[in-house]
Amino acid sequence: MKNKTIILIVTVILTALVLLTIFSPQLMISPGKPIDAHAELATDCFACHTPFIGSRPKKCIACHKVEEIGKITTKGLPIDKEKKNVAFHQQLIEDDCIACHSDHKGVKAFRPISQFSHNLLELSLQKQCDSCHRNPVDDLHRKIKGNCGQCHTQDAWKPATFEHEKYFRFDRDHDTECITCHINNDYANYTCYGCHEHSRSKIREEHVEEGIRDYENCTECHRSSDEDEAKRIWRSKDLIRKR
Amino acid sequence: MERSLIRKEVLPFLGMFGALILMTIITDALLHQFELIWIGRWLGIPGVILILLSFFYSMRKRKLISFGKPRNLLILHETLTWMGALMILVHAGIHIYTILPWLALVAMLINVISGMTGQYLLARSRRFLAQKKEVYSQQGLSEDTIEKKLFWDATTFDLMKKWRAVHLPITLAFAVLGITHILSILLFWQWR
Repeated sequence: MKNKTIILIVTVILTALVLLTIFSPQLMISPGKPIDAHAELATDCFACHTPFIGSRPKKCIACHKVEEIGKITTKGLPIDKEKKNVAFHQQLIEDDCIACHSDHKGVKAFRPISQFSHNLLELSLQKQCDSCHRNPVDDLHRKIKGNCGQCHTQDAWKPATFEHEKYFRFDRDHDTECITCHINNDYANYTCYGCHEHSRSKIREEHVEEGIRDYENCTECHRSSDEDEAKRIWRSKDLIRKR
Repeated sequence: MERSLIRKEVLPFLGMFGALILMTIITDALLHQFELIWIGRWLGIPGVILILLSFFYSMRKRKLISFGKPRNLLILHETLTWMGALMILVHAGIHIYTILPWLALVAMLINVISGMTGQYLLARSRRFLAQKKEVYSQQGLSEDTIEKKLFWDATTFDLMKKWRAVHLPITLAFAVLGITHILSILLFWQWR
C-alpha cells in the first residue's frame, strides 16, 4: 500500500472521529453519565456548561432556586419526605454549587460531596452541627448536646482532640451524666460540687485536715474515685513544689 | 529463534515497554496510597509538553530547524516521549468513562510501540551497514566505491524508510485525537 493511501485512510478515519466528537459529545467526551435526575440533559452539554468557562451557578439556579431547595422540586412539587437535611442551602454564604456537586461519574472522584467545606455556611449555622448531623449514639455522645467544636473540627469527625480518660476515668462511682460535672454543656470547665458526695464544706474539711489548701482543681489529683492514686499524685506534685 | 536475537532485539524492546507499564502502575499506586490522585489529573499537561518538546528531533530531521546534533536530539526524542507517555498513562488511569481520550491513549501507545520498533530497526540498520563496510574493505575496494555501494545498500535495506511510512500516520492519528481531547477539555473544563 502506498504512503499516500495510508495517510488518506487515516485522515478519513480521523475526520469521522472528530465529526463524531462534535455531533455526539455525550458518547465521545462526556466523563460518565450525569446523575439520574439529570438524565434528560445528557445530550445537551450546554444546558449546564458555558463554553470555555465551565458550569456556573447561574445555570444551576435557573432550575434549582436556592429558596426552594429541600422544599419543592424543580417541577414545583412539594417535598415532604426528604431524607437528607438540605435546608442549610438557604444559609450558604455564596452560590457555588460546583464546590460540592458534580454531575458526571468521572468527576465525582475529584469533587466528592464529602469534601463539603463548612466555611460555605453562615457563621451562626456553623456551630449548629446537629441541625445537619445526627448525634452519635455511643454512651458519651448520647449524653452531650451541642458544642461539638470543643473536640471535633469541621474537616473530619476524627481525629477528635479530647480523651476524657487523660483527665478523669468513669469508674463505677462516677457513672453519671455529663451535665452533672459540665454545667450548661460547657466541656471546657467542670465542677465536682454538683454531687451530694462532694459538698463544698465536706471537701474543704477533708483537704485542710491534710494540709491541702489549693484544692479547687480536683482532677489535678483525683483521676477517679481511687483515693490512693490521688494521694500519690499529690505527694509527687508536693515534692516538685518543694524543690 | 536464536538466543542472541531474543537477547539483543526482543528483550530490550519488551523491557522498555514493560518498564513504561510497570512505572505507570507504581506511580498510580503511590498517588492513590498518599491520596494524591489530583496530581494524576494534571499530569496530562506536562506529559503533552514533553512530547511536544520531543518533536525537535522530527523538525531537525525534516530540516525545519538547524540547531542540535541529530544523534543527541534522537536520544532526547526517545527519552522525552517515554517520560511524556508515562505521565499521560498515569493521567489516564484505568477509569473508562468516555471514548475519545481512550482512542487518543491507544494511539499514543501504538505510537510508543512504533517508536521503540524504529529504535531497534535503526540499531539493526547501523549494524548491517557496518558489517557491509567491513566486507567491502576486505575485498580491497576503494573508499569512494565503498561509499557508493553503501549508499545503494542503505536504500535497498532501508527498513527505516518503510517504518517511517507507518510511524507518520500513527503520529498523525495520535496528534489529531490528542488535540481533539485537549480542545474538548478546554471547552468544558471547570476552571475553578
